[in-house]
Amino acid sequence: MMSVTGAIGRRVGAVLDLAALNTHQSADIISTVEFNYSGDLLATGDKGGRVVIFQREQESKNRPLSRGEYNVYSTFQSHEPEFDYLKSLEIEEKINKIRWLPQQNAAHFLLSTNDKTIKLWKISERDKRAEGYNLKDEDGRLRDPFRITSLRVPVLMPMDLMVEASPRRIFANAHTYHINSISVNSDHETYLSADDLRINLWHLEITDRSFNIVDIKPANMEELTEVITAAECHPHQCNVFVYSSSKGTIRLCDMRAAALCDRHSKFFEEPEDPSSRSFFSEIISSISDVKFSHSGRYMMTRDYLSVKVWDLNMENRPVETYQVHEYLRSKLCSLYENDCIFDKFECCWNGSDSAIMTGSYNNFFRMFDRNTRRDITLEASRENSKPRAILKPRKVCTGGKRKKDEISVDSLDFNKKILHTAWHPKENVIAVAATNNLYIFQDKIN
Amino acid sequence: MEYKVEAHRIMSISLGKIYNSRVQRGGIKLHKNLLVSLVLRSARQVYLSDYYGGVCFSAQQVESKEWELMDAEQNKLRPAAEEGPAPQKDAGLGDATPVADEPTSQPQADGESPAGAQQPPAEADAETGGTSPAGPAEDQTGGGGRALPDEAGTPGAHSCPTRKRGAEKSHHACSPQKRTKVTPTPDSSGAAEEPEEMETGNVSNLITIFGSSFSGLLSKDDTPPASEGEDGDSGSGQICCDQMLKNLNPWTTAIVAF
Repeated sequence: MMSVTGAIGRRVGAVLDLAALNTHQSADIISTVEFNYSGDLLATGDKGGRVVIFQREQESKNRPLSRGEYNVYSTFQSHEPEFDYLKSLEIEEKINKIRWLPQQNAAHFLLSTNDKTIKLWKISERDKRAEGYNLKDEDGRLRDPFRITSLRVPVLMPMDLMVEASPRRIFANAHTYHINSISVNSDHETYLSADDLRINLWHLEITDRSFNIVDIKPANMEELTEVITAAECHPHQCNVFVYSSSKGTIRLCDMRAAALCDRHSKFFEEPEDPSSRSFFSEIISSISDVKFSHSGRYMMTRDYLSVKVWDLNMENRPVETYQVHEYLRSKLCSLYENDCIFDKFECCWNGSDSAIMTGSYNNFFRMFDRNTRRDITLEASRENSKPRAILKPRKVCTGGKRKKDEISVDSLDFNKKILHTAWHPKENVIAVAATNNLYIFQDKIN
Repeated sequence: MEYKVEAHRIMSISLGKIYNSRVQRGGIKLHKNLLVSLVLRSARQVYLSDYYGGVCFSAQQVESKEWELMDAEQNKLRPAAEEGPAPQKDAGLGDATPVADEPTSQPQADGESPAGAQQPPAEADAETGGTSPAGPAEDQTGGGGRALPDEAGTPGAHSCPTRKRGAEKSHHACSPQKRTKVTPTPDSSGAAEEPEEMETGNVSNLITIFGSSFSGLLSKDDTPPASEGEDGDSGSGQICCDQMLKNLNPWTTAIVAF
């Protein structure tokens, strides 16, 4: 497999516009992107509560150029807006997270969640249907039993492929605060869900109860100083999970130690640099995403300005730190005013854990090669991404003379933000969500 | 002095965010409001350390001084306020537009029960914002009366949270017909005429509200934390936001003025 560095700059693009007619509908803003375990399916959730699943086309000799194109496979409405009458609060239908379950049979399963309710969806294909029923006609009308003179055995006939999504489980009423994360455990039987103050452990088959395994709600809410921002199960050790906080710390917990994992097994925190303190130091240190590496040896955290890679065996500082957009440090006050400082960027590993990717503003996204320490900034935009076009590296000019092709910090469009990205688990294929557009890039075929 | 202006500006922006978070779809976001309150506290500390002409007080010393100042104000204004709060006006806070964009809220708010009905029931207990078209004099009355009913004459910085809670309790005990009122622009001009006095009141109220880390946003949580089924949290968050906001109406005036 080509290294990321070798592939940098030679990427072909394909744009999938989820809202062809209404490009500015806020309901179409993509809120989560996730590949399944094989990478053949790519799920997106949006602000309107819809889930759209793309499937990769199989390679075929007849259409060599369509190798690896993703086309719409299934679309369904996962969550609807709800109203909590007791608290006079509207519950948004926005899909916060989608997580796939490992495939165990022909059907695919995924978990999708909004602020309050998690749903398990089964996506299955139907390409045959039974014909020749005795008691009803082909169009479904019931036949008069007295008119039936002979019996026949229904036969399965092929039909046009139909993809059906049905909700199999609904896990509700377990979270007082807004759910920010779900994570499927490596035992494939349980999963965890995290809100601002609590983490619950569920069994996939049981919807009427869950175990509360972390509770950081203080007895006196006036003493609240931090909230949970993300949580994830370890990819191999089913007893281990981590959760990050708004204070920039990560706690690793072992479920074998106690039923309530309020006491962490490991505590990861980097001491703050006192020289960079400002009004907004606390906000920018808040961790917006935490992801284990595929190997399970490392984990990555995203705060507002940087991405940090931690070795699980070393708690006092990260082993690698990558600056995503350090040029924004002097603009924090403006970013606070326009609320951009609260944007929650996600991050992701590539399949071999040799590279990491995260988003930025102006539809830029960044990739870092951990081995060569090289990084690249790319842009996801229609103008620059005709199908099969090669992406050109971008550069932000931080001061002094602006070179040709560079863009100055003040020209960045802060409304165009890339919060959600995903990397194919095995290949160099990436999915980048830019507001209501989904971009899929892959290595150029030689 | 530049720091003071910057800190003041950040405080105003932060308060605006907290205010707007109430009307956002999906309910109050705990994480964002926590971060905003942290910024608010940092800005307040800078502002206060600068407030005394650059002399470096510790936060607690500053708080106790401000508290005494506020005591004096309250004692001065108590008789006037006890004659009756300013005319009852309906809450306009539930409307989506921020304070600054609603200069006509006062005339429209009169007798407008639907607007009040949109609010959570607790807001009906909120004391009136205290501003009225009569001008700066009543402004002050309202301003003092707002923080008023809790004084049992127990000064001291460490009793700040207690006093604030006392204020809330007595507000709840007050006539349920009271409602907050959105500050209309005529009052902002009235407030601007006396910026110095308003500022003192503002800052001391801010201290009252943000005396402890999160008391400004979430009220005392009476429900036992153990039960899984508790669902009063977001609700109490909303209630206390209202409490805080009605206490800060002069702030909104200040924001409009800025």
